[in-house]
Amino acid sequence: MGTYAARRLIWLPFLLIIVTFVTFALLRVGPGDPVQVWLGQHQNDEVRERLRAQLGLDDPLVVQYVRYIEGVVTRLDFGESFQFRGKSVGELLAKRIPVSLQLNLAAIIITLGIGIPVGLFAALRQGTGVDNVVVAIALAFQSLPVFITAPVLLLVFALYLDILPTSGWDGFFSPKIVMPATVMGVPGIAIVVRLVRASVLDVLGQDYIRTARAKGLSETIVRWRHILRNAMIPVVTSFGFTIAGLAGGTFIVEIYFGIPGVGFFTINSLFARDYPVIMAFAIVSTTLFMLANLIVDLMYPLLDPRIRLGAGNVA
Amino acid sequence: MLPDRSGPRAHDHGHTQHLNTDLEVSDWWANELTAGQRLELDEEPARGHSYWSLSVRRLFRKKLAVVCLSIILVMYVGALLSPLITPYEYTAQDLSQSRAKPTLAHPFGADRLGRDMMTRVIYGLRTTVIITIISLLGGTLVLGIVLGLLSGYMGRWVDSVIMRTGEVTSSFPDIILILIFVAALKPRLVGLVQGFEDATGIDWILRLGILDYAIISFALSIFGWFGMARLVRGQVLQARESQYTEAALVAGASTARILRVHVLPNILSPLIVSISAGLAGVAGSELVLSWIGIGVQPPVPSLGRMMFENGSIQVLRNEPHLLLFPIGTVTVLFFCFNILGDAVNDAFNPRAR
Amino acid sequence: MRKIFRILLMAAVLAALVGLVACGGSDEPEAAAPEPTVAATATSVPDTPPTAASEAPAPTTETAMAAAQPEGGSRAPSADLTFDDRPAQGGTLVRLFADPPTLDPHLAGDVTSSVIINEVFGGLVTLSLDYQPVLDLAEHLSISEDGLVYTFILRENAKFQDGKPVTAHDVKWSIERAADPDTLSHTAETYLGDIIGVKDKLCSEDDAAAGKCTKADEVRGVRVIDDRTVEFTIDAPKSYFLAKLSYPSAFVLDQEQVTEDGSWLDQPNGTGPFKLATYEIGELIILERNELYHLGPPHLESVQMILSGGSAMIMYENDEIHLTGVGLDDLPRLLDPSDPLHPQLHRSPQDFDVFYIGLNSEQPPFDDVKVRQALNYAIDLQSIAENVLDGRVSPATGVIPPGFPAYTENLRSYHFNPDLARELMQESEYADALASGDFPRITLTISGSFGAAIPTYLEVILEQWRQELGIEVDIQQTEWATFLQDVNDKKYQMFSLGWIADYPDPQNFLDVLLHSESQSNHTNYANPEVDRLLEEARTERDRGRRFELYNQVEQMVLDDAPWVWTWFSGEGYALIKPEVSDYFLLQMSIPKYRYVYFNQ
Repeated sequence: MGTYAARRLIWLPFLLIIVTFVTFALLRVGPGDPVQVWLGQHQNDEVRERLRAQLGLDDPLVVQYVRYIEGVVTRLDFGESFQFRGKSVGELLAKRIPVSLQLNLAAIIITLGIGIPVGLFAALRQGTGVDNVVVAIALAFQSLPVFITAPVLLLVFALYLDILPTSGWDGFFSPKIVMPATVMGVPGIAIVVRLVRASVLDVLGQDYIRTARAKGLSETIVRWRHILRNAMIPVVTSFGFTIAGLAGGTFIVEIYFGIPGVGFFTINSLFARDYPVIMAFAIVSTTLFMLANLIVDLMYPLLDPRIRLGAGNVA
Repeated sequence: MLPDRSGPRAHDHGHTQHLNTDLEVSDWWANELTAGQRLELDEEPARGHSYWSLSVRRLFRKKLAVVCLSIILVMYVGALLSPLITPYEYTAQDLSQSRAKPTLAHPFGADRLGRDMMTRVIYGLRTTVIITIISLLGGTLVLGIVLGLLSGYMGRWVDSVIMRTGEVTSSFPDIILILIFVAALKPRLVGLVQGFEDATGIDWILRLGILDYAIISFALSIFGWFGMARLVRGQVLQARESQYTEAALVAGASTARILRVHVLPNILSPLIVSISAGLAGVAGSELVLSWIGIGVQPPVPSLGRMMFENGSIQVLRNEPHLLLFPIGTVTVLFFCFNILGDAVNDAFNPRAR
Repeated sequence: MRKIFRILLMAAVLAALVGLVACGGSDEPEAAAPEPTVAATATSVPDTPPTAASEAPAPTTETAMAAAQPEGGSRAPSADLTFDDRPAQGGTLVRLFADPPTLDPHLAGDVTSSVIINEVFGGLVTLSLDYQPVLDLAEHLSISEDGLVYTFILRENAKFQDGKPVTAHDVKWSIERAADPDTLSHTAETYLGDIIGVKDKLCSEDDAAAGKCTKADEVRGVRVIDDRTVEFTIDAPKSYFLAKLSYPSAFVLDQEQVTEDGSWLDQPNGTGPFKLATYEIGELIILERNELYHLGPPHLESVQMILSGGSAMIMYENDEIHLTGVGLDDLPRLLDPSDPLHPQLHRSPQDFDVFYIGLNSEQPPFDDVKVRQALNYAIDLQSIAENVLDGRVSPATGVIPPGFPAYTENLRSYHFNPDLARELMQESEYADALASGDFPRITLTISGSFGAAIPTYLEVILEQWRQELGIEVDIQQTEWATFLQDVNDKKYQMFSLGWIADYPDPQNFLDVLLHSESQSNHTNYANPEVDRLLEEARTERDRGRRFELYNQVEQMVLDDAPWVWTWFSGEGYALIKPEVSDYFLLQMSIPKYRYVYFNQ
């Protein structure tokens, strides 16, 4: 396992270099010039050329890339935003990433807080009508698009009941987080329910329960220990989600609820061809994503000894 | 945003949630199946009733699943036959009917241009169905299974190359790549197709959005194969290592048979789960692409665009039918796929019975 | 503003027009599309008739200029009623807004930036509430007989926000900064280029070395007479010059701050009615009252602009914001007199804008004028406006929007006439091709990013062309950055665009959009006679004769049909909380928050 982790860690920087270089190259080669976006409908060739030179867009691709990576690696400097000139990309993102992280975390809490108990409940009622109904309801919620859940929540809780604020961001412990986190968290419940249910059923049917019983342990203790251990798998996986969830996908919720997170900001930057912001986002999200995956993969075997690393399902 | 952008990320929101799940669903499946397979080895499948017929029978014992399967079939067939079954042309406008509420003549009401919403929804479903089929068949299934098998059987550097490539594609911020990819490539492809149309006198390739379908499906496939490949590879490795397989090999069983009996059943249910997640994913991706301005071009209807354009409080309050019918359709379809995926899991995975 | 084509603006305008959701979440264009001002800037004084843009003749003489400047600033007649009521002081106005691309007046070229910049900074000239150029930092202006020399005398109490007096040296330095090639202003040439010496100042060293221009360190045409007197000399008697000076390119900056403080834009020392107290990108802008403002401090204590978006209508109904634009879907409900919000609904005058579908006259089939005319006759704009857009737009009858200087109703413009359209197609050189199916392929390109859904009216128009003329037009949505580049390169065969006025002069529409050498002429339209008349109008000093020339040009352009005319944006609606008084819904971006006060 040590070697496995080491191999993954060594591979990580190479992966990062490939990903960032391809992103970088595609951005530069692809259509749409950030200077033109800045100039809008104006066509001032003089200013355009000078701006391009100033931003270093005229240098060869590799030179630009090396310069950029050098800044990132040696000084942790992600450059200045093209769109918000003079502003450091690092600072712009550093303000937004925690917001999105907290929002994701809140969503995860909702997902797990509801999903795990419901999953246990369904498993213990396996095969009964209750089981089926519970799973079906969870699935129904999973099938609802955000385009309906967000407006309905807003209408009901902000307007008709008038008990929650409509939008904005005041940190993790503000009522403003409730609606967006719910919208984000609810669809995932079904996955957790199904997962917990399946894990628990698996445990209940295992031979080693018999073994344990033969050792003289009370069945309840045996069951619950294994059940809870299995229930941890979604928790661990979800931890990975929280970090990786940053990588995008929150932007529609951010727009609905006016949350200054990283999702909408990045999409915005994409349209403005704000290369430094997009690159920084690519680097941060790729790194987080890969680390999260690694951590999750490393934790599975701790929770479920049947899973071996370096073979089978884990590449 | 786009399917299988690799990773554990089930909790974003509606669509993206679906589309991000197929990889991790696959992971979980793989984990479970590690155990499942062992059980399966204890329980010799091919005696009297085959594993398949048993599974299918178990599946059909679930009423809700059967209902859902029927709904899906009806929706798919209906969508593919949309020109035959819709009462109006999807472009037929009647401005005096703008935003008309549902009536007998227009059961789903009319949209802003007075076009029949039911017709538009059915055609929108067709867009989803076509893109789903192409990108799931092309990306998830063909690419994923072939590369997964290759990786698992060949091992060594082939395995490394495929897996590393997969990790790279799944680590990308794919929305950026797809955006740039499509923006750079599409004009050229459109030019090519125009040339082809002019030369051959065919004039419907672009108009029917076929090129859009192809481009979107291709873009989604590039990022969609890795989860499946990883899964297949894992199963192949398991099968290769199991004593049963060795015994079967000694007994003269062919590779094909081993694949069929020991690999296929194990990937079947994750496959269906992938498809159900992928369907939602494709709808979501298509929506995101529409949002960026590179999706299916109007007037070809798209459920994603309909939901997106009308996904606001003001529509919900004032003209709810513009939002509720497309969303209802999508929700029912997703729901059925989810129920079906669940039932397939139960039926084909004996351990979970 | 010129850069209507920052797509965001487009998104906002179209969302406002069509009531589409700009970004899924926002049910009101202001919320998400970062150029919200279009929706709400262009609106009228609550419960008063639309502002009298067309009533007051533009002042062309010195006396008129001075007279248009009553003590206390440039207030519209309609506003004077409330002026003496001594409105309550204090309070914070809250609204949604969007991130301004820049706060540097000399770099701004878009509506969103201008809205903030207009509150924080100022120049010699601004626009009154009825869009006439009036004096701001200056208290007196005299224009020489030949119309070439403008002499401004600064107000004695004109001060920067830190209390430093504004001098003629600051004015000259600011113009020179804007025209410095290192400033990289892309608006300086357009707005200040008439001043003698600006073009030389703009000349970069490379170009000078290449012999393209002569490098100058100072702008000769701006002369400091004494501390309070400054003199501008322009290259020709252009009557629209004064209006151009109201643009941020000519705003006055604090030399000391700009040269010494690298991050001066975080706390700029302007001369406007409000100070920029806070700007958190993507989150919040707070403007605070400038107690030293030379026209009297604003009533409001501060203005808060939320930049992170949200669902505007719900926020409004939940008392979280004081004003919002109204989307198409909410309008029928709000127009119902029994709706509780109905009394808060205000009509806003139409924007000074025009929307069109550009036809590239160098690409077939648009190289035939008959085809272009036929396309215009084949669409029923009136019906689209009434049925699809709830009357919030009016069919464009020319280039210049109603209420704008030189607007006239006496133009032969297009109307729905399918028979004539078919006839024209028959007479065109493409008649046979159309019959045989060899008609050139037509693709309409629109900029589509940012959730700017394809405007529904375009789908109707396409369908009508198909029905009436049998012409199939494919629609192609292109992501914004690409669209911008390609439309500037005149690559598109057919595209959908629009234009909003920068300054109240017809030159800003006709010359800028249709002169064959203008960079904003994206259709390759070139008519030598039109060019000649436009050039003549530039220096014509008689206002009547000048407008006549423009009207002549407008008619010629209509006949040549380089566009398919679609809309003048029409009147919009906004909701304003009853406790907010004198929030003027304006058609151009000028300082307006200083009038606002809370009546309770």
